[in-house]
Amino acid sequence: MWENRCKVAVSGVGFSRVTRSAEIPLAAHALAAVKGAVEDSGLALSDIDGLATYPELPATGHAMVDGITIVSVNCMMAMLKLPNLAWHVQVETVNIGGAVQQAVNALLAGVCRYAVVWRAMHNPKGTYQNLPGAQAQGAAQFTAPYGFGGPGQGMAVAYTRWLERHGQSREKMATLAVTQRRHSHKNPHAYFCGQPLTREDYLNSRMVAYPFCLYDCDIPVQGAVAIVLTTAARARDLRPRPAYIAGYGQRLAFEVAGRIGSLSSYMEGGRSSSRLTWERSGFSPKDVDVAQIYDGFSASVIYGLESYGFCKEGEALDFIQDGRMELDGELPLNTFGGSLSTGRIHGLWHIIEGALQASGRAGERQVEDVNVSFVGASAPIVQGTTFIFVREPY
Amino acid sequence: MTMSDWNRVTRPIPVPNEWTKPFWESARRGVLALQRCQACKHFQHPPYATCVRCMAIDLAFEPVSGKGAIYAYTIMYHAGDKRFAAAIPYASIIVELDDAPGALLAANLLEAPYTEAKVGRRVEVVFEPLNDDITLPQFRLARDKQ
Ligand SMILES: [Zn+2]
Repeated sequence: MWENRCKVAVSGVGFSRVTRSAEIPLAAHALAAVKGAVEDSGLALSDIDGLATYPELPATGHAMVDGITIVSVNCMMAMLKLPNLAWHVQVETVNIGGAVQQAVNALLAGVCRYAVVWRAMHNPKGTYQNLPGAQAQGAAQFTAPYGFGGPGQGMAVAYTRWLERHGQSREKMATLAVTQRRHSHKNPHAYFCGQPLTREDYLNSRMVAYPFCLYDCDIPVQGAVAIVLTTAARARDLRPRPAYIAGYGQRLAFEVAGRIGSLSSYMEGGRSSSRLTWERSGFSPKDVDVAQIYDGFSASVIYGLESYGFCKEGEALDFIQDGRMELDGELPLNTFGGSLSTGRIHGLWHIIEGALQASGRAGERQVEDVNVSFVGASAPIVQGTTFIFVREPY
Repeated sequence: MTMSDWNRVTRPIPVPNEWTKPFWESARRGVLALQRCQACKHFQHPPYATCVRCMAIDLAFEPVSGKGAIYAYTIMYHAGDKRFAAAIPYASIIVELDDAPGALLAANLLEAPYTEAKVGRRVEVVFEPLNDDITLPQFRLARDKQ
């Protein structure tokens, strides 16, 4: 087990308004989320001395304009003018979970006391993807000429392989979409809160990239979420009950850019990230009381459930049936609605929900008797992160 | 009819670089050639600076048979890329070649209804010239009964 387990905790969490596309600058969303998280902790902005984010654009091909399409650490600092800033980082790999893990390390090293991590996601008005022009350069020369445009197709090819190798049917995925949507009705911050989704809606919806229909894809939105992390001792003096980080893991893709369609790389990514988390925390999948698993595309949840070890390969779509993923089920799953219902904010919202469930602060959607709360924050799973939060330090 | 209409599609033109030039030069001559490690004989695609299996830097392009199977596929219904709108729905496939296990090639399934795309189905390479310089390797259902 990890000697540093439960020495750092998530304290406050914050959310901006989530809109379908950009109405106000992205910096305003990020600022609202960060201020919300600091306030939730009962801290003042001047207490914050660490900043971390993963600022990458979710949509490809748009210009990086700080404050408008991304919110960098520089941009946040220009807004907050933190008098005591002592540490910051802007990660480029493993998405926002990597920024959270760097903040954990900084707190363990004692180089800051209260760190804020945010993820701000831009959705321009008009076209989401800005696809390559008449020429296909770099890795795209082997994909774009064949009409492989967006990330959805890359994920879809692995899904057909999974479905046909295991003799499974995509109709079973309706359970995931419908249950997550129902969970989101208890999450007032979610984009689709209050908008019902039935099994028939799912089965009759238009196909996007087979086997993905509309409701297998998270909806691009503009919004931001944020968390405050601090040491366990400090967290106990703050307003919210802490969610202790019992362990984390990560995986850097070792695929060559442009290689797509490999189901085995997704599975290996999830296995190696979660193995670190299980070893460090000392827990195993059977100990988990509630799980959040990244669902930018629905099939990511399959790869997550199987590669993290919650069920066997080929069985994930059966595993989620029969009420198992309900709030009172055997493994309550994506209890905040997941990205499919909150909108595309990548993995930080999964991390927030994992922390809220561990600290008993998930409100109407709180799962009973949670101690061990698992998060697979990978977006996508081939390179990503996993976490375990606990209610009681051990 | 379930045949995709490729005639009105304008495909982005690949721009060969230092690593990929031999691939495209071979394709123009109607030969599918992949990068192969001269030390461990592993084929890889896309081309890379080193052998992804043994880290050797002695790499060369060698012809492969062009026969393989559909490793995975998707049927595209959404016109995210407007240039492909005329072909929708169409099959984008990933092919694993018999000669080069693990080296996955993207392609479209040509000369067949898109509904014929299935994991494991046998395919063979065909060549689709885009202009005088660039010819795309593509795949159709295999015609021999092997
Ligand atoms: Zn080699």
